[in-house]
Amino acid sequence: MKTKILFILIAAFGCAGTLSSCTKLDEEVYSEVLPSKFTPTEKDLPTILAPTYASLRTVMCGWQGYFDLQEEAADCIITPVRPNGWDDAGTYRRMHQHAWTTQEWQPYNTWINAFATITKTNTILSQIDAGTLQLGDIKAGVVAELRAVRAFGYYLLLDNHGNVPIITKVDPDDKTLPKQNTRAEVYAFVVKELNEIMPSLSEDAKTTYGRLNKWGVKALLAKIYLNSEVYVGTAEYAKCIKEANDIIASGKYRLDNNYSDVFTYTNQNSAEIIFAIPYDEIYGVGNQIHMKTLDPLSQGVYQMTAQPWGGNCAVPQFIKTYDPEDSRLKDSWIQGPQSNPLTGQVLITYVNSVPGMGGLDGIVAPSNAGFRIGKFVIKQKATSNLDNDFPFLRYGDVLMMKAEALLRTGDPDGAASLVTQVRQRAFKSNASKATISGADLLKGSIYQYGLQAPDGTISASNGGADIKYGRFLDELGWEFAAEAHRRQDLIRFGIYETKQWFNHSPKSPTRSLFPIPQDEIAKNPNLKQNPGY
Amino acid sequence: MTLTKNHMNNTIKRYLSLLMLCLIYQVSAAQSNLNIKGKVRDAMDNTPLIGVSVKEKGTANGTLADNNGNYNLKVSRTDATLIVTYIGYTQLEVPVNGRQEINILLQPESKGLNEVVVVGYGTQKRGEVTSSIATVKAEDFTKGTVRDAGQLIQGKVAGLRITTPSGDPTGGTQINLRGLNSLNGTSEPLILIDGIPGSLNTVAPEDIEAIDVLKDGSAAAIYGTRATGGVILITTRKNPVGSKSTIEYTNYVNIQKIVKKPEMLTADDYRRLISQGVKYTDYGGNTNWLDEILQNPVSQNHNLSLFGGNSTTNFSGSVNYRDWEGIFLKTGQKRLTVRAALNHSMFDDKLKTNITVINRSITSSQGGADGYAYRQAIIRNPTDNIYNDKGKWQERDIYFYDNPLSRINEATNDARLRETRINGSLDYRPIKDLSIKLLASNIQTNNLYGSSTTFEHVNTTKSKLNGTASRSTTAATENLVELTTNYTKSIGHHNFSILGGYSWQDAVNENFYAYNFDFPTDAYSYNNLQTGAALKEGKADMTSNKNKWQLAGFFSRLTYNWNEKYLFMASIRREGSSKFGTNYHWGSFPAASVGWRVSKEDFMKAVPEISDLKLRAGYGVTGTIASDPYNSQTSYKYDYAEGAYIDGKWVPGFVPARNFNPDLRWERKTEYNAGIDFGLFKNRITGSLDYYTRTVDDLLYNFAVPTPPFLTGNMLLNAGTMKNSGFEALINVKAVDTKLIKWNSSITFSTNKNKLVNLSNDKFDVTIDFINAGYTGEPIQTYTHRVKVGGPIGQFFVLKSVGVDDNGKWLVESKDGKVIPISQSSDDDRQYYGNGIPKYLLGWNNTFKIKNFDFEVNVRGAFGHDVLNMQRMYYENPVNKAYNALKTAYDPKYGKTLNSDLVYVSDYIEKADYVKIDNVTLGYTFSDKLIKGIRNLRIYVSALNLFTITKYKGLDPEAVSYTGDFSFAPGIENRDTYPTTRTFTAGLNVSF
Repeated sequence: MKTKILFILIAAFGCAGTLSSCTKLDEEVYSEVLPSKFTPTEKDLPTILAPTYASLRTVMCGWQGYFDLQEEAADCIITPVRPNGWDDAGTYRRMHQHAWTTQEWQPYNTWINAFATITKTNTILSQIDAGTLQLGDIKAGVVAELRAVRAFGYYLLLDNHGNVPIITKVDPDDKTLPKQNTRAEVYAFVVKELNEIMPSLSEDAKTTYGRLNKWGVKALLAKIYLNSEVYVGTAEYAKCIKEANDIIASGKYRLDNNYSDVFTYTNQNSAEIIFAIPYDEIYGVGNQIHMKTLDPLSQGVYQMTAQPWGGNCAVPQFIKTYDPEDSRLKDSWIQGPQSNPLTGQVLITYVNSVPGMGGLDGIVAPSNAGFRIGKFVIKQKATSNLDNDFPFLRYGDVLMMKAEALLRTGDPDGAASLVTQVRQRAFKSNASKATISGADLLKGSIYQYGLQAPDGTISASNGGADIKYGRFLDELGWEFAAEAHRRQDLIRFGIYETKQWFNHSPKSPTRSLFPIPQDEIAKNPNLKQNPGY
Repeated sequence: MTLTKNHMNNTIKRYLSLLMLCLIYQVSAAQSNLNIKGKVRDAMDNTPLIGVSVKEKGTANGTLADNNGNYNLKVSRTDATLIVTYIGYTQLEVPVNGRQEINILLQPESKGLNEVVVVGYGTQKRGEVTSSIATVKAEDFTKGTVRDAGQLIQGKVAGLRITTPSGDPTGGTQINLRGLNSLNGTSEPLILIDGIPGSLNTVAPEDIEAIDVLKDGSAAAIYGTRATGGVILITTRKNPVGSKSTIEYTNYVNIQKIVKKPEMLTADDYRRLISQGVKYTDYGGNTNWLDEILQNPVSQNHNLSLFGGNSTTNFSGSVNYRDWEGIFLKTGQKRLTVRAALNHSMFDDKLKTNITVINRSITSSQGGADGYAYRQAIIRNPTDNIYNDKGKWQERDIYFYDNPLSRINEATNDARLRETRINGSLDYRPIKDLSIKLLASNIQTNNLYGSSTTFEHVNTTKSKLNGTASRSTTAATENLVELTTNYTKSIGHHNFSILGGYSWQDAVNENFYAYNFDFPTDAYSYNNLQTGAALKEGKADMTSNKNKWQLAGFFSRLTYNWNEKYLFMASIRREGSSKFGTNYHWGSFPAASVGWRVSKEDFMKAVPEISDLKLRAGYGVTGTIASDPYNSQTSYKYDYAEGAYIDGKWVPGFVPARNFNPDLRWERKTEYNAGIDFGLFKNRITGSLDYYTRTVDDLLYNFAVPTPPFLTGNMLLNAGTMKNSGFEALINVKAVDTKLIKWNSSITFSTNKNKLVNLSNDKFDVTIDFINAGYTGEPIQTYTHRVKVGGPIGQFFVLKSVGVDDNGKWLVESKDGKVIPISQSSDDDRQYYGNGIPKYLLGWNNTFKIKNFDFEVNVRGAFGHDVLNMQRMYYENPVNKAYNALKTAYDPKYGKTLNSDLVYVSDYIEKADYVKIDNVTLGYTFSDKLIKGIRNLRIYVSALNLFTITKYKGLDPEAVSYTGDFSFAPGIENRDTYPTTRTFTAGLNVSF
């Protein structure tokens, strides 16, 4: 009997697992893909390529992202304290007053997401190198495109952080920490990369929408050459003109008939966009510009499924520079009474006056203070994510870059004809106003630079008349308002750290570069902080 | 007290009839040739003992003493030995020696060093225990309304902090032992119900016999990687061997009142302020929004326990039904827990078998009464009306501002949680000293949720979603198999035991969720998800997921003592988890402890005042597992968030699931514990003192890694060391011990010191200096705490407010100690200000017995800590005229009127020392002769969370969370916390 029981026990124990399985601790994976279950082929290319572009959505419109970084540090857009908040521990005030810390999220987010793009492209490039990703005939094109995307990431860092590590490989076994490079080295790297890959890039404008093709890379190069003096102290206007001319001569792009066609929720059909960051309310979420800018009451105006947060708006001084007949004023900014389309009831009236950035001085901007960003046309029943793609490089920009290069190299009339070409669609009601002369472009700015008091008066005004090519800067403001251009333009025109606007006073020339994020320095002691921080 | 409230549903009736059937099983007497009779009495007070088991040794032959303590047993031999057992009394063996009448006196088991203590995989006598183990028996449990097993022992175990942070009827208790011991893993204790992992509410509180808490590492190490937060062993009620059939019924009914309401401005206050020029809007009404969302809850609880059988086969079972309501409208929970255990012994008790089934089903059917609705009731304009002139909910177009009643009434949130636990054991004793035990269990959990909002909910009236609905379901299966062998032997004065065992655990979790909106009607609620349009348009979500983990362990323990005087224990567990990298699957967790029972030494006879004295010391290593599986796995995922618009269509991106770390391994906690157990004056005063230090190495932390070269800025790494040390004391005093009056008083005291020794990333040789933690919420949006390496966890990090200037702006202290306006301050001026973790915890429990009355008072306190009063931070400031404010918002601050934005300053951090008179119970036990057939009848009234003495100005200083997301940010009384309640209970216990 006893032996029988013993057998039962042994049998029961046996059921619990044979000697090998009772210590088997391999993980069974159900909702993830193991590398052993995945052999990539050409047809997997889109899903492999996609992540490198995906982080650009976060770069641009992510919370406290690149858009905020470029606009809130400049003279067109502010986020004042509102009745429903928007102090957020003073971060918007610091952005406006150039008092950001080394831990500020706006510059850090651009760092994180630019490097995410870089690391993702490096990962795939390393796989192609190692042969784990076999691509056959298309290999050269794919490698060129990946290098273009990586260079784009480095362009963002070149412009904003300057002295960053250049990394071109991913090796999980390599535990050495990246070394820092100088801004000049980063500049040389980006220019070399973009020029090297040029022959292998696609020239097709249609199927490469949302990706970097040859024309996108040329436009990017033009931009880098235009700012070359800022980056490395050497002007490269001739090279800028050459790249612009190539794009113009290709005939692949043209100005859209209507300014709003470039920014509307169906702007994937635009003839003007050269490189867009595509957004989608379902698949490519992240364009929440309307959520941040609209007052909650505007929900009813667009019958939105989400209640907007009511934060940023235009700087009143900037709005005052517009010619009232410039249709871009209405196309770019939501203003005046806003009504419910079903009942006609006026829900809120946006006015062009903002008492101040507010915060600890107790000033609170009323809900309706300031014009709102309306450039990215909000469709009825919009969700919290817009369908509108963000044009990063467009034909209008190419024309204006060429114009500026001409202006700066002594051809104001050549510049003026290009500027006039861009202005024409903005003055359809009064075509004569579209035309501008070379002499006009040599004038100063009409922006009334100076500090604004809570009552709207501009004290200590130092104006804009003294700004060299100030009028051209104004043209850039009107054409590219709320396109994340403004910080770079102010730096190039030399007023970023010399002029006052709204509640901003010049801080220090070193503020033209953002700090290396303190958290990254803590994680990688090879990194040294930028001067002035 | 009436039983009319007893809405026993059909399910209960079915279970009842099943159990009643079992009752028919009768005790069968064995044949014998010597008839013995006698009476069994309590040796202390000579009262007859009812139901005592009297057995003939070595046979199945036995009987029970009757209502007068008399027994009658036929034995087979004149030299037989009687074994007399009774719960709470020391077992006695009585040689018959041919006698025919044997009167027996049983010694009550002294609660001190003789009580039986449950240890890992076995039991020990208290006197032989060499580790820090606390035991609370049923008679010492908190009486009245208790949520779960945790509340039963609240304030009764030194070093175990148990709080009930919210009044939510679906909520439970919060528990922490000896400080925070993990950064990323859980600090929650391992809870075993009769050896099988479960939770504090796996069994009904009424069904629990005793709760043992393994506090130190030397006791817990046998459970290896799950034991860093301590081990709580719950022993369910068993049928005392050979006891006669018993039915017990207990019930109670309670009402709850909100402890304290925030004092918001009323409509009259609004109008008075408007007349003074304050820019409030007067909508013409008069509504007390908070009162509108509150109800007067009546809750009830019924428990029926049955015990029966004979000395070879017996069963115990219970049916527990509770229907609890919450103080918010439409909140409540119904719970049915059924447990049945069947024991059978065969082959002269050589083989014992057990099968236990526990079935739980929890149903809650709530509206939208969540923390957000509560906030809306607090901030809503009191001059506004509930309904507009069309009879619809009055809504306003203000940011984050909804009618709380529409949120509550137009939303449905149903949950149905079901758990079935089946476990069985075989215990085979081939020879007297050897036991081989096989334990197997299977736990199945199936939860189903549904929620929806109607067309009158703001989701539709404001956000145009046209009705929303979702369903989700989770299913989990957990298996456990354990084989243990235990050999116990005494040779002369040498007593030893050896335990060896193997344990296997695996678990599979699966879930599914679907959400939809844009419905043609709201009549379907969540029962016709396919009619919504949003999912088809790609606007709504649908998700599913499955994961699995395994845990295997081998363990062994050796105990040895010489004459119960010199005690020694050593154990080891070797354990492997699938959650770790292949290089680190396995870890070893050793422990050792020694004890010296000084009172057994001859020289102690000279000190008769000391009836018991034991010194003990222990060392043990335990581990902590990462919470989630796959953290060390190299794997990829398809993700639309990483997708892009490629070749004219949106495709998902193929990306690594995480930064790969195949080196992930256990957190290791090493603990030293030294203690004294003592009994004075014939054990009239007993107690334990313990001192411990615990060091956790290889802390799992989501460490910041540089980007580049890493893709994401964080990676789960083993990095860092944390230390806790503390002192604990438990003292029981039989203050008055006469026949007429008894007063027992027990005091628990504990203190703990915590320090984050370092946080360094050996992978890159980088050390972090501090971690910011906690979050104020919108619109202040900043962190609240900072944990600095070298400092304790729980420190607030805040601008220290020192005054208010003439403009109503805060004045704060700068980092140089100067007073500056807050507008000139920066993050660098923040300073450490107070700590959310109490330095001292105190429990004081008293029971009085005066004749048939019993009276119990439990007092708890926590001292030396601070709480961030978030309601004051958000509502004691009149800045936002769109929202209501506390009445105190218009009181001068530092003699000035505040005119400031909402900010996080130290003014809102308050000293939060408190003493809580938590439980007061008065009971009366009727004499057993009152009604024939009734063995025991007791009625009682009880008040829970009765009274709090504190200077803290918030609602309840204990309503703070210190687990999960708040591990590093303890001591925040969140503005949205479901308010705590005061509970008044009337109940009845009866047994037949």
